[in-house]
Amino acid sequence: MKKILLASTLCAVLVYGDAAALLPVEKRTFDQSKYIPDISAILDFSYVNNSVKDDEIAHLELPGVAHGLLGEHSHGDSNHATYNAKNGFNLNYAEVVLSSSVDPFLSMDAVFHFSEHGVEVEEAYFTTTALGHGIRARGGKLNSNFGYLNAQHHHYWDFGDMPLVYEAFLGMHGINELGGQIQWTAPTPFYLMAGFEVLQGTNEQMFGNESVDIEEFSGVEEDKIKGTSAPSLYVGYVKASHDIGDTTIAGGVSYAQGDSMIDHSDDHEGPHVFNGDAKLYGADFVVLHSLDSYSSIKWQSEWLGRELDGIQYNLETFINPNMNKKQSGLYSQLIYTHDKNWKMGVRYDTIYKNDVVANGVNKNMTDDFNKYSAMVEYHTSEFARFRLQYNRNEAMYNEDGNRVDIDTIMLQANISIGAHAAHSF
Amino acid sequence: MNKFLLLFFLPLSLFAHLNIAVSYPYIGALTKTIGGDHIETVVLAKGNWDPHFIIPRPSLISKVRNADALIMNGGQLEIGWLPPLLNRAGNPKIEPNAKTFLNLSHHIGLINKPSNVDRSGGDIHPEGNPHFHLSPQNILLLANTIKDFLISIDTEHKAVYEKNHSEFLSMWNQKMKLWSEKMANKKGLKVIQFHDNLAYFNNAYGLVNIGTIEPLPGIPPSSKHTIEMIELIKKENPCCILHDVYHSTKTAEFISEKTGIKVVLMPHDIEALENINDLGSLFDHLTSAIK
Repeated sequence: MKKILLASTLCAVLVYGDAAALLPVEKRTFDQSKYIPDISAILDFSYVNNSVKDDEIAHLELPGVAHGLLGEHSHGDSNHATYNAKNGFNLNYAEVVLSSSVDPFLSMDAVFHFSEHGVEVEEAYFTTTALGHGIRARGGKLNSNFGYLNAQHHHYWDFGDMPLVYEAFLGMHGINELGGQIQWTAPTPFYLMAGFEVLQGTNEQMFGNESVDIEEFSGVEEDKIKGTSAPSLYVGYVKASHDIGDTTIAGGVSYAQGDSMIDHSDDHEGPHVFNGDAKLYGADFVVLHSLDSYSSIKWQSEWLGRELDGIQYNLETFINPNMNKKQSGLYSQLIYTHDKNWKMGVRYDTIYKNDVVANGVNKNMTDDFNKYSAMVEYHTSEFARFRLQYNRNEAMYNEDGNRVDIDTIMLQANISIGAHAAHSF
Repeated sequence: MNKFLLLFFLPLSLFAHLNIAVSYPYIGALTKTIGGDHIETVVLAKGNWDPHFIIPRPSLISKVRNADALIMNGGQLEIGWLPPLLNRAGNPKIEPNAKTFLNLSHHIGLINKPSNVDRSGGDIHPEGNPHFHLSPQNILLLANTIKDFLISIDTEHKAVYEKNHSEFLSMWNQKMKLWSEKMANKKGLKVIQFHDNLAYFNNAYGLVNIGTIEPLPGIPPSSKHTIEMIELIKKENPCCILHDVYHSTKTAEFISEKTGIKVVLMPHDIEALENINDLGSLFDHLTSAIK
């Protein structure tokens, strides 16, 4: 009897529940479904085979430039890994993008990176739509428009990993900061745009302003390397472009300046902190020649140069030299898009200048950093692509200062669903 | 109210020329015909390229940044390339809710609206087939829509726009009679296409599309589907393959070799082929292409 009662109640609920659900959208009194923003989800998944083991790769460095560049690193609770960090399978991210207009004056975009270790707000910003005169302002967490590659999301890149010079100077997220941006497109017949950004300045590899606690090293209570107040990073750029027939030429120059606090106090060997000023210069140049609607040749190059000037606090030896670093590098890549299905390309990466001067003495650091990449992509449609990439990395050194060359084969799947992504040039 | 409207349109009327950005050449031609000397048109996409895939070159940002108005095709034809341009332009006049923004698809009844929108069915257009300008009747509707739009943003030259419009109307009606006569004996003819971009043209003249070379919208030809097409052609005897100018004709030629049916290049827009330089010559060509 109880069973019958239960079953009939259940049926009744189902029937009425269904009846409510069957009401057409336009008749639901407080229906808001028409306001759902554009939603897309992007999966980036890869299989990686490195010629060097994971444990070893994580300890390789670019002497005087960056360490802990490749592989996976744990800092207490937090886990930091670059794209395609591990041998075997990698879930680089499952990205969720929401975007919609807010009102007649603003639009909003939010990009969330879900990984196995948690969620990161990759970007979340509002953009003005009504200022006019070619002016657009943006506020929130955003990718700076410094250079060419920095504003693009990983899934839009032509290679699965970041160019060496970008990752070495700025880390895998590039200049990705809280702040505000204003851009002006000039009323010229050719494309001319200038922009300025005020950013928090919290880049791990280059910029920073938070004080670092060194009490555990010095034994002095509340001993700190004092930071500065945020925001402390300023970025400016000018970009121009012109078409000659079916060929587009685009170029830009960028500059970023900010306070620097590079915190390596957690390092097991030679913990240190760098504090000072940082300047970053960038120049980018892109030529795209369209052969037809689907086929094109694209040559894309960027040069980055930086200067770090300040004090390096060595927390074990307490020798704290004045440090000046002048470093430059570039990447240049050539991509041929054959048709809607096939795309292939090569890339050359280098950091060719690495002048590290401590207390006026040049440390004669190596400046022999090169990397070669080649890739071929197959697109089943606009929404799914599979990329086979080969890297020959001749830029990494072990703790004894010997170069360790790495060969990497990478098979990457980048899949998207939902709203149609439309990327800018 | 009128005073308020006057005030609203006053700044616009100060322009000697209205600078109107349009997505495709056919819209440019139609707008220029009706706007005459009072407007300048800037066409964003080239007529010989696939209208779905336009590279959002930075130069196009400048073009929409400097525009006083924008007219687009709509029906999601521009979804892959126009939004980032508008987003970068910093120009409220070309924002989709502005009075100076016109989406032509909202003024036309779209056909082939899919009942089930899912990408496993290819890159389909949820609002229906967006290639509506390839029906001469629709050109009349579009001309009327553009005339009303120009008047709404530039009332001062209402008389000019109406005059240009009525001249175009009588010219077009005469041409339509000729085209109908030319196409009269083609009624019921079966055709194959690469992509169904002649749906409206076929409807207008009673041609029957029995299949496409691409297995699903936006999905490149596969050998399996090509073999199926060859079987279909042998069974149904269509007159020809009506092929667009921007996809490779390789598969079509292979099918033609196996079945003996002709491949006919069909321009989809002005400048798609060398001798197509206005709307009249576009339809002249389309209506005389099938022998």
